[in-house]
Amino acid sequence: MTSGAGFHLMNGDFLSLLPRTGIPSLVQTEGQSAPLQGTTVFAFHCAEGILIAGDHRATAGNMIFSDKTEKILELDTHSVMAIAGAPATAFEMARVLQTSFEFYRRSQLQPMSLPAKLRALSRLLRENLPATLQGFGLVAPIFAGVDQNAPEARPGIFFYDPLGAQFEAAQFAGSGSGSASIKSILNHLEKWGVPRPEKMSLREAVVLANRLLITAADFDTATGGVHPESGLFATVKLLSVTGIRDIPGGEQTAFWKEAHR
Amino acid sequence: MTEEPFRWLEAIANRREYIRDQLSGGTPVFAVSRPEGIYLLGVGSGHSKVFEIYDRHGFTALGNPVDIEKIRQTAIEAAHLEGFNRSAADVTLKRLISFSLGPALKNSFEQIFSPPFILEGIFAELSGAPSEDHLVRIRYDGKYEFVPQGIAVAFTDPPREAEAVGWLKKTLADTDSPRELASTLLTAWKTLREGGAFDKVQPLTDLRPVLNERILEFALLDRRSSQKVRYRPLALAL
Repeated sequence: MTSGAGFHLMNGDFLSLLPRTGIPSLVQTEGQSAPLQGTTVFAFHCAEGILIAGDHRATAGNMIFSDKTEKILELDTHSVMAIAGAPATAFEMARVLQTSFEFYRRSQLQPMSLPAKLRALSRLLRENLPATLQGFGLVAPIFAGVDQNAPEARPGIFFYDPLGAQFEAAQFAGSGSGSASIKSILNHLEKWGVPRPEKMSLREAVVLANRLLITAADFDTATGGVHPESGLFATVKLLSVTGIRDIPGGEQTAFWKEAHR
Repeated sequence: MTEEPFRWLEAIANRREYIRDQLSGGTPVFAVSRPEGIYLLGVGSGHSKVFEIYDRHGFTALGNPVDIEKIRQTAIEAAHLEGFNRSAADVTLKRLISFSLGPALKNSFEQIFSPPFILEGIFAELSGAPSEDHLVRIRYDGKYEFVPQGIAVAFTDPPREAEAVGWLKKTLADTDSPRELASTLLTAWKTLREGGAFDKVQPLTDLRPVLNERILEFALLDRRSSQKVRYRPLALAL
């Protein structure tokens, strides 16, 4: 049996035994969706900085684990990570980064540079290579940050492949099972939208983020937990040169109502 | 020498005398617990005296800058290790001082063939209410005490330190603005430094002549903030 990731499972081994006994396999197999990877997170430039958003659903195969998961994690005052992939590994990576960034800032009496933060995440992903290759520890995060040491710093969006390669996104980035449709829409809007996302006000950007997640949920069962009509909004944070601002549900409700009068 | 108790006691007494002599030029540092948080104040001339240790923890000290730095680094490492292995809520001064820094300072002081730590300091821990805050006065020989009533002063002369605490208790009010608080603390700073009496002292209004090119370090562990990190350096318009 060959898994979706190209791994060969032997007849009678533990991983092939799991699905036969009704327990979801840890490894993606033919005809199965990737386990513990269903999610949608994305980031795009708007007029006030970078908007980072994500849905609330955590899944394992076709099972919904939770519809109240926080996937947009503040690492320090000027960097945010949006997680997609195996939650246990992703949350642990965020915790390691939070501690190391704060430890560095307090002990060295200056913030860590943005390139060093990007390398730190890259290194963690690379160290996670064995779990990624085994098919159950894949993490593909998005990182947004500002270099506090640079006087003319501008917030940047970075995305990674699961092996640790880092890329800077000019306009937007997305990750997770529902990100393909969102990236298509953002690409369209950046080319022909009026206004383009990078020119949008915070209100317009927050409404767009929720609409994108609702659209993604229409095509991806692993994306969910965003229902503005029930008062359930995406996790949305704004990163600017002054720091990170959480956009709470109350503020999103006001934006949503204003846009849908 | 250590086989003879008298010689050991003499060495310890010499060590105290040496440390007090080394500390004699130091200027005081302060920590005050208030409804809005814990304020830390020190006056430096080239070296920092007020520091962030962890999410709800601060440190201020006088003494040899290298020794202050060693204690600061040790405290930061211990706090982050505890916070990572357990949780931020498990980082407490009770454990940090009682089980880590206090014994280390005492050991260092009593190892008579190695250089001692030359510092006097205050650790502060912010809680949900002023009555639950912790201010810990820690001394060069490892002695420490949890200071009641929310005012701690670290200076080189314990009786003068107690006088300053008494005056600050009478003079400070919960309604004081940060600038009024800083003025009162700087008045105590000036009085201790110049060896003046506290009985007729009034808080100063013009702070610039007091500082005289020195750098005022003033920080708040902010109780009102919803952020994880509560330490905030404050800039005062003098």
